[in-house]
Amino acid sequence: MADFKSIALLLTILLPAGAGTLLVFMPRGQTMAIKSLAALAGALTLALTIVIFAMYDYGEGGYQFVNAWRWLDDPMNIDFSLGIDGISAPMVLLTGIVMFAGVLVSWNVAPRSKDFFVLFMFLVAGVFGVFVVRDLFFLFFFYELAVLPMFPLIGIWGSSTDFGNFLRTKEYGAMKLTLYLVAGSVLVWIGIIALYVAASDFLGDGATAQAGFSLELLETLGQEGAFSRNFQLLFFPFFMVGFGVLAGLWPFHTWSPDGHVAAPTAVSMVHAGVLMKLGAYGIIRVGMTLLPEGAEAWMPVLIGLGTVNVIYGAISALSQKDLKYVVGYSSVSHMGLVLMGIATLHPLGLGGAVLQMFSHGIMTALFFAVVGIIYEKTHTRDITVLGGLSKRMGLTVTFFAVAGLTSLGLPGLSGFVAEVLIFMGAFQEYWYLAVLGVVGAAITAVYILRLLARAFFGPMDPRWEHLSDGGRIEMGAAAMLVFILIFVGVWPLPLMDVINSGVAELLSRFPGV
Amino acid sequence: MPTMEWAWLIPALCFIAFPIIAIFGRYLPGKGSFLAILAIAAGFVLFLFVAYDRIDQGATGLDVFTREWFQAGSATLTWGIIVDPLTVVMLGLVTFVAMMIQIYSIGYMKGDPRYGWYFALHSLFAASMLALVLADNFLLLYVAWELVGVCSYLLIGFWYEKQSAAEAAKKAFVTTRLADVALLVGILLLFREVGTFSMMETFHQAELLMAGEDSLLSSGTALTSALLLFVGAMGKSAQIPFHVWLPDAMEGPTPVSALIHAATMVVAGVFLVARTFPLFEAAPDALLVVAIVGLATTLLTATMALAATDLKRILAYSTVSHLGLMMLSLGAFGYTAAIFHLMAHGFSKALLFLGAGSVMHGADQTDIRKMGGLAKVMPLTSFTFAIGALSLAGIPIFAGFWSKDEILLAVLEHRHWLFLAFTLLAVFLSALYMARAYFIAFRGELKEENRTAHEAPTSMALPMVLLAVLAAGFGFIALEWGGGFEGIGSFLFFDKAHGFEFNVALAVGSLVLALLAVFLAWSSYLKGKPYLSTLKSLTTPFPALAERGYFFDHVYQWTIDRVILVFSGFLGFFDRVVVNDTGVDGPANSVKRSSFNLRRHVTGRVYNYALVMVLGALGLGVAWWAMVAVG
Repeated sequence: MADFKSIALLLTILLPAGAGTLLVFMPRGQTMAIKSLAALAGALTLALTIVIFAMYDYGEGGYQFVNAWRWLDDPMNIDFSLGIDGISAPMVLLTGIVMFAGVLVSWNVAPRSKDFFVLFMFLVAGVFGVFVVRDLFFLFFFYELAVLPMFPLIGIWGSSTDFGNFLRTKEYGAMKLTLYLVAGSVLVWIGIIALYVAASDFLGDGATAQAGFSLELLETLGQEGAFSRNFQLLFFPFFMVGFGVLAGLWPFHTWSPDGHVAAPTAVSMVHAGVLMKLGAYGIIRVGMTLLPEGAEAWMPVLIGLGTVNVIYGAISALSQKDLKYVVGYSSVSHMGLVLMGIATLHPLGLGGAVLQMFSHGIMTALFFAVVGIIYEKTHTRDITVLGGLSKRMGLTVTFFAVAGLTSLGLPGLSGFVAEVLIFMGAFQEYWYLAVLGVVGAAITAVYILRLLARAFFGPMDPRWEHLSDGGRIEMGAAAMLVFILIFVGVWPLPLMDVINSGVAELLSRFPGV
Repeated sequence: MPTMEWAWLIPALCFIAFPIIAIFGRYLPGKGSFLAILAIAAGFVLFLFVAYDRIDQGATGLDVFTREWFQAGSATLTWGIIVDPLTVVMLGLVTFVAMMIQIYSIGYMKGDPRYGWYFALHSLFAASMLALVLADNFLLLYVAWELVGVCSYLLIGFWYEKQSAAEAAKKAFVTTRLADVALLVGILLLFREVGTFSMMETFHQAELLMAGEDSLLSSGTALTSALLLFVGAMGKSAQIPFHVWLPDAMEGPTPVSALIHAATMVVAGVFLVARTFPLFEAAPDALLVVAIVGLATTLLTATMALAATDLKRILAYSTVSHLGLMMLSLGAFGYTAAIFHLMAHGFSKALLFLGAGSVMHGADQTDIRKMGGLAKVMPLTSFTFAIGALSLAGIPIFAGFWSKDEILLAVLEHRHWLFLAFTLLAVFLSALYMARAYFIAFRGELKEENRTAHEAPTSMALPMVLLAVLAAGFGFIALEWGGGFEGIGSFLFFDKAHGFEFNVALAVGSLVLALLAVFLAWSSYLKGKPYLSTLKSLTTPFPALAERGYFFDHVYQWTIDRVILVFSGFLGFFDRVVVNDTGVDGPANSVKRSSFNLRRHVTGRVYNYALVMVLGALGLGVAWWAMVAVG
């Protein structure tokens, strides 16, 4: 068992990456074999993440499943070291779920399905990498690995939006998303190098210990005073904004709706579902862990911006005509809740934020999966053109409604638990922002219900007479996501136990809170 | 004690029935309807045991059972139940009315393509409402509260192919959801101050505050949170200005209206105020607000009921009016009276809606102007409808009389005489619109097109009869019956037990007003006397205003169209043009443009490069000379 524990995390990277490599050598015409292999890899990865999550011992807490391999010696001291704690464990599980669902809804992807799955597998490998490494160098490496496949994935398999006076091509979306995220990662890179240099300086020339990129090492050095207060104040924003871009932080969010809309279904799912979480995760893992003083000083700014995200995203979503843009802006709004929760520096708020990361990941994956099914059938996402779909696509619309109800915070679904915790945390110190957050959740109800009434209820357009629900495989994937939303909403205990242990550990670095 | 501990099973049974019917309904006998009724009937039986136990154990007791749900940080979130007299009477009302309505629905909904889904939703609706009345902490209450909201959304919009139904459902949910913002904020505020969601602990702190001892609550917080909770209650109980969703909510199937108006959804608000009464008592100003809102609601909507011509709409406005009366009662410290009226009104209103449903089913009419003389073809419906109407009109021995009298007494004792005067006016109006609806719809000449109307089938008639029995006789629960039961006032009370009090002057006065109203309606609508039209012209411009609902809907629609959507459109535009096209694409474009411009300098002509070289050399020379010369 100990052996399994030491390689389990490595497997989460190797399984998708290996499947991707294998797919490269498969003959192009064998689509069925390609899809089956991808699905098999997805299923195995999901099973693996479930086992890892179940085996994580929250009573003990801290990094588990640890292992490390030396990659570069002194003076770089880069290790390929792995390990997850109570915050990354749910994220690993989330990635496994969304990835599997993403493969299933891409069942009919065409043309060039082989290339699609190759890129998709490497994308997922990169995401897993970020969540499981404990070394800043490799964290950055995997972060970039997760961003780059996006460009071809969107550029080739994406779709453009054309409303006459409003045109967004998929090439534009792909370019904007990639440039934006690379720009964010430049900030992160600068920050990481600054950390390394500061640590080296602190140790001096003759020291026996050596600086490096290991999170734990840097943290220890930080506690010994390697990062002065001014250093922290200066460099925390690099992480806050650099990672924040990926989390959709206002006003650096515009890549997100455009990118998500242009991307093919599975990529939207992974991107909005998991990649945006990488941003929030980065702020927690790098910024807050290593620079607690800087974090504490900057949190009022972050919570303010997060609140803007919530309200701004919700109000923008209200006037969108494209189904996918509504979902895209709702992601901006919900990620705002995550940022708010993080910025509370309160166990309730932070726990809620991590749970919201999980919940929003599943919910948004479900949203995009269902929108993908609808688009495949109707070839339009224009809300004003759709109408009365539920008569022919009852189950599909039900799934969309479940995602929508999660999004507006209906109790019994996972979003409610997360949101209430965030509000409880935020209310302690920033009650006025918490009130704005609650208002944002109410606006969510307005745009979701408007959407349901316009696009799915009411008299049916005769054009949709021939439609039917999505295929078994896509619907199965969506049903799995629905089940998870309900499960977590009714019984959040298994997740919360793990999250609590991670949050308690994180907050122990903030003596003042 | 043992049965009370099992009270959680009452909602749990219905909760379990929901997914079973929703998923496997088509394979079940009766497409799942029997399972739904079985679950709620089992709940009703359990209620009988619980009620017996509660009375047996002494009504003053209060039992709380709590279980852990999950932990977050240092806070433990729990679910648990309170079994106090308030819970018990609400359990009885909800299980009984829901059961009656589900039985009725077997006949009413026959042949509907989503028959199973309908009963699944009914199970979830009942379960949520039952959980709401049992909840022992604010978070669980909020959970149930929202579930009640979403169930009514789904049931009002049950026939979603109709655009009007889809819109009405949305309106109901959005309106109540906006009010819920206040409720949630109130709950969060209490959590911050008290450090727990537990109601008992919160009430304990409120009592300490009242007693002038050290309390975690300040009087300011108590007032703020009480008012916030009340705004939430106003949304659910359709108090002005949140009342607009309820009349539209009749787009759903009629039995659903009966359920929403009688036992679930709208009574949740009144229940919330009653449940959190200790908090309100610690903040007397909040109670005054409750009384004023209740009074305003009851008067305004009574006039709207008088102006409406759609039978279900009349009943809907009447519900709002009576909810206002209950709120007023609570605002006048009439705790027992309010809940008593809630029950009496619940039975009567369920009966009236089922009657209206029976008319729609048998005669296919909703507009009272197209009815008339229906008593001849639908004698049972007419008879039971009359009982419900008499009860709401407050005519003696019928249930509504007793509870209305208690309310008047509370208002007389605790509020300014002006309150009493307006309440009496509301009593008069209430009798007037009920009598008007009954006389126009069921009495007089039978219209030609209604000759073929038929009486309801047995499955629909049975619930009507049972409810009629309660609407007629429930009021006697107010009296002392011996055998340990000394009237509802000794079982369900807030501060101290009290028997049934009777103020003869008040009772006679209100009775005279009610009878006068009935006489006016009878003489005007059946005998063609001009009394009412004279009254109408005397009170200009109120009748015209009431017909248009005092323009509430118009103002809201205007605000949504002209303010909110415009602002949202502006923000969407701002995001696109300013943030994106200028802030994001701007730098990108300027990079593109500058690279385009810079490209021109690379001309490929030797003399250009030579010139730059010479200029550069000269410049360097000058700089070197300047440094040496000056330095």
